[in-house]
Amino acid sequence: MRPDRRKFIQQTICAALGGASVYSALGQLQLLQAATRANYTFPPGDYKALVCVFLYGGNDSFNTVVPYTLSAYNAYYGGTGVRPKLAIPRANLLPLTDAANTSADGIQYALHPSLTGLQTLFNSGQAAIVANVGTLVQKTTQQNAWDAMNNNSGFALPPELFSHADQAAYWQSSPPTNQPLTGWGGRIADLIASANTGGAPIMTGLNGQDAFMRGLNVNGYTMNTVPYGAIELDFPYDASGPGLQTPFDALHLDGAQTNALERAYARTMNHSTGTASIMNAAMGLKDFSSSFPNSVGDLDAQLQTVAQLIYAANHPGSSGYSGLQRQVFFVSTGGFDTHSDELAAHGDPTTPGVLDLVSRSLKGFYDALASVGLQNVATAFTASDFGRTLTNNDNGTDHGWGGHHFVVGGAVQGGKFYGNGAGFSPQANFGTVMPSLVNPNTYDAITGMSLNLNDPGDGYGRLIPTTSVDQYAATLAKWFGLSDPDIGLIFPNLGNFDTKNLGFV
Amino acid sequence: MGLPLPLQRCFAAICMAALSAAASAQLSHAPDPLFHDGMEGIAAGPFTDSDAARFLAQATFGPTDTDIAHLRSLGYQAWLTEQFGAAKTLQMDYLDWISSAPRNEQIGQNNRQEAWFLGALGGPDPQTNSLIHNDQLRQRVAFALSEILVISDQNTELGLNGAAGMAYYYDLLIKGAFGNYRQLLEQVTLSPAMGMYLNMLGNRRADLASNVHPDENYGREINQLFSVGLVMLNMDGTPKMSGGQPIPTYTQSTITAFAHVLTGWNWASCDVSGYDEFIGCYTPYSTPADYLTPMVAYETKPANETGTDAEYNYHDNGAHADDLTGKQLLLYPGVAGGGVVPDGASRTAYADLTFALDNIYGHPNVAPFISKQLIQRLVTSNPSPAYVQRVATVFYNNRASATQLQSVVQAILLDPEARYGQWTNPDTYGKLREPLLALTHLWRAMNARHWCGKDIAFVKNVSAAAYYANPYRYAGYTTAWSTGGTQYQGIAQAPQDAFTVFNFFKPSFKPPGEMSTRGLLGPEFQLQTDSVIALSANTFRDFFIDPDLSDFCNPDNDPLGDVKIDHAADGALAPAALVDKYNRVFMSGQMSPFMRQTLIDYLSNIDSGWGSDWQMQRVSRALYLILTSPEYMIQK
Repeated sequence: MRPDRRKFIQQTICAALGGASVYSALGQLQLLQAATRANYTFPPGDYKALVCVFLYGGNDSFNTVVPYTLSAYNAYYGGTGVRPKLAIPRANLLPLTDAANTSADGIQYALHPSLTGLQTLFNSGQAAIVANVGTLVQKTTQQNAWDAMNNNSGFALPPELFSHADQAAYWQSSPPTNQPLTGWGGRIADLIASANTGGAPIMTGLNGQDAFMRGLNVNGYTMNTVPYGAIELDFPYDASGPGLQTPFDALHLDGAQTNALERAYARTMNHSTGTASIMNAAMGLKDFSSSFPNSVGDLDAQLQTVAQLIYAANHPGSSGYSGLQRQVFFVSTGGFDTHSDELAAHGDPTTPGVLDLVSRSLKGFYDALASVGLQNVATAFTASDFGRTLTNNDNGTDHGWGGHHFVVGGAVQGGKFYGNGAGFSPQANFGTVMPSLVNPNTYDAITGMSLNLNDPGDGYGRLIPTTSVDQYAATLAKWFGLSDPDIGLIFPNLGNFDTKNLGFV
Repeated sequence: MGLPLPLQRCFAAICMAALSAAASAQLSHAPDPLFHDGMEGIAAGPFTDSDAARFLAQATFGPTDTDIAHLRSLGYQAWLTEQFGAAKTLQMDYLDWISSAPRNEQIGQNNRQEAWFLGALGGPDPQTNSLIHNDQLRQRVAFALSEILVISDQNTELGLNGAAGMAYYYDLLIKGAFGNYRQLLEQVTLSPAMGMYLNMLGNRRADLASNVHPDENYGREINQLFSVGLVMLNMDGTPKMSGGQPIPTYTQSTITAFAHVLTGWNWASCDVSGYDEFIGCYTPYSTPADYLTPMVAYETKPANETGTDAEYNYHDNGAHADDLTGKQLLLYPGVAGGGVVPDGASRTAYADLTFALDNIYGHPNVAPFISKQLIQRLVTSNPSPAYVQRVATVFYNNRASATQLQSVVQAILLDPEARYGQWTNPDTYGKLREPLLALTHLWRAMNARHWCGKDIAFVKNVSAAAYYANPYRYAGYTTAWSTGGTQYQGIAQAPQDAFTVFNFFKPSFKPPGEMSTRGLLGPEFQLQTDSVIALSANTFRDFFIDPDLSDFCNPDNDPLGDVKIDHAADGALAPAALVDKYNRVFMSGQMSPFMRQTLIDYLSNIDSGWGSDWQMQRVSRALYLILTSPEYMIQK
């Protein structure tokens, strides 16, 4: 049965799960049952961490990964090119060595000048670029998208494209609804929680939480970065005399209450305090500050904290932070919604901006783990609400759809492009590799519709993803150790795509 | 676990006191059994302040000494009758006031929450101070209904543009809190806020050539969450079993049938131009007033269009080639028409909606499913099956009555298990207080006011801001930022702010550990994760440890202002008197001797050596210890 065009699409999921949508109660029951009977065990020493690096606002990856081969560069940034107002001087770009020529259009690409760390990682094979990935319900051609958006064809697209909250939610949960009950990080944790013993949190967020960390069974744990750490009860400062701790502890003494709900509440409070102590002790076992010089307490501090927690998980000693074989982390930063002043927001080596933060945070993360031989255990991946328009407005870009993302870690098969390729150069035959929604360069004056659907021109140039979030996430889940049936259970739309494992890790 | 037989017949204080005379030398962690009702019968009470406070903890947003005295003077029944007749506090009245001249404020979610707090806290009206809001029971029941019939500003569109629409929706719950549930279900179904939230708005009959299929979201949730639930129930709320397994209430094809019948409804304003705009009927960003009008059916040819009615009918009535014929809705003994929606070109959308709602409402599950949840929201998480049955019977017997829920609420509150249950089952009775209820309780008991600052009003089309300081507007930085946001900020809860239609917690949640092992429900525990419990406790602490009504006010430095409590009223009370007062208003007299002595011992150390504000410090720390204590947090 072909999927419905309606915003909250259930049909596909129904078909995939034999009648029970994963977003229905029966479907949740299936997930819960799967989680209950899941019995993942991994050999001692087999530890893995998934780190989601969410860039709120929709990063303009088309000024992050850019054409470098001269003719392509000129066609891109030249006066009559695709985005002349966002041109970065070619001499400042950081060329990528794509030895296997995986960019799909035969040209060389380069990174934004601030991404020195990511350039090093890519060129040494520790980072990969997944090109033109975004939210999709199913494979979508230019005609499919045009008909759905303009002719009410009923072809299923993700709901509320170009809306920050909806697309961020979709990226993090990948359901066909913009009211996700769970995120895919949470669903992974639900299923794989059996791999961990002890009470340390399997899922930790270092900058609040979001849908990504929402599981059916598993609760995400929120904490602050170094040096603050886990959220502890903040007793009022007692100016003199005995502190509040004594009577507080007396009232929460485990098992002393005469009502079962009271006992549960006391234990919940004590467990929170205990967990906070464990988290702070774990965080303090190792100090990776030297890998994060000039930390501004943002994404850098978050990834430093994650690295320190990963160290602790692998060297628990007698601390309570033990029994961990799989962990999911969520870190994030904002400032990517660059409708204007994009070049300044992205920054440059003289005046660092958001891209510098991303690059040195990921590089510091890799280096920190590598310094203790743990570079293979963690895979960090970027995600964002959406990419942006290929074409510029005055000095910025608008909300787009597909975009490029980085995957970083020792286990990554790096130094390559994945997905259908990053090509939007003339050599890539615009639109074949990365189809745009609209070609406003050549359009019929009466209908307003593009005559050449393959030419992004200088209008909006929103690129239709050629790789879905589901495929991206499923590849990570596979590395993480989930079985194929379980991967299919938590990504019900995965069957709509040809490749379930992109192979970048 | 119950009392020995002789004691079941003896509720006089003297019997219980004799039994406890043999208590150990150590202080008991259990409430003192001396404080409970006499033998005259339930409805004749309350006879003590403690029992009055217990009742008010279930029936209001928190007892105050004034309310306790008033309840004692009236007795339960007369108090209930007074509450049933009390003037309603409607959210739209408040929003209309602040959005009109001279305030001209832009309505947003913060204002909607202000309106909610006005209803929850009661007290003087900000516009007309002599008008005192006191429809506490109605507001408490509406809040309970809002946790069953869930919409949320976490929905992007509702969050951005639907504040007034959500207030209009909440007013349906307020007006319907003592009314008929079938009628409420219909009003909720046709409200644009719900239509937006669960997609019935704009849902249309199938058009197979365009691959259009009706959306199933509302059809699913109205059954699963708003009426019958997933499994067949006995009248006592326990699941019916067959071969050791629960029996599903419906199948996927039932939901598909509901999806098809709940079609054809859209914004009221979309075809006013005379042209068919059903398909192009997008969210009217510029007309939030559309949220305040029920959805209408689109089934006839608009004035300026050509063609037949059938071509402009977006409702699946079984007559179109792509329609679903013979829609099988819920099936149960005695169901009207076998639960099959009649087909026919003359079937109107409203007639079919009526059939569908009647089909749902006639299901035997509705009475126990809704009654048990209302009991859980007001009284206790683990009601006995007999208690559920007593209340569900009242729900069912009054199913056609315009005052059905009034009878249900009375049955809930005057049931012996509500009034005495904590003595017959002291180990398992009670419910964990929700953060919002704990906050309103604190603010009511401590006479909180919006203090300092100005209510900055962004006057439409005028660049200058107008300033309105108003002690009865529960607005301000603290409220907006610490009770709003998401579940991961502040106190972790705000009205109509749940992440999903499944509310902040599921009625079936059992916290891990002892309660799960013993099969005890604790829905509210689902909200209290490791980090949330600490974060929300810290936010709570910030409400009262330092801020006070007496604080120096500089509106220019604190433009939005906070809601602050009054420490001074209790500052002069010596530790024992202070603890006893808070035992009364916060814990309904059920503070254990152990807790009482622990508090008194600690508070006795606070003296003038702490500084000039030592009395306020004493009050603050008493509040901190009580409000984070297991004995308080479990409402019994």
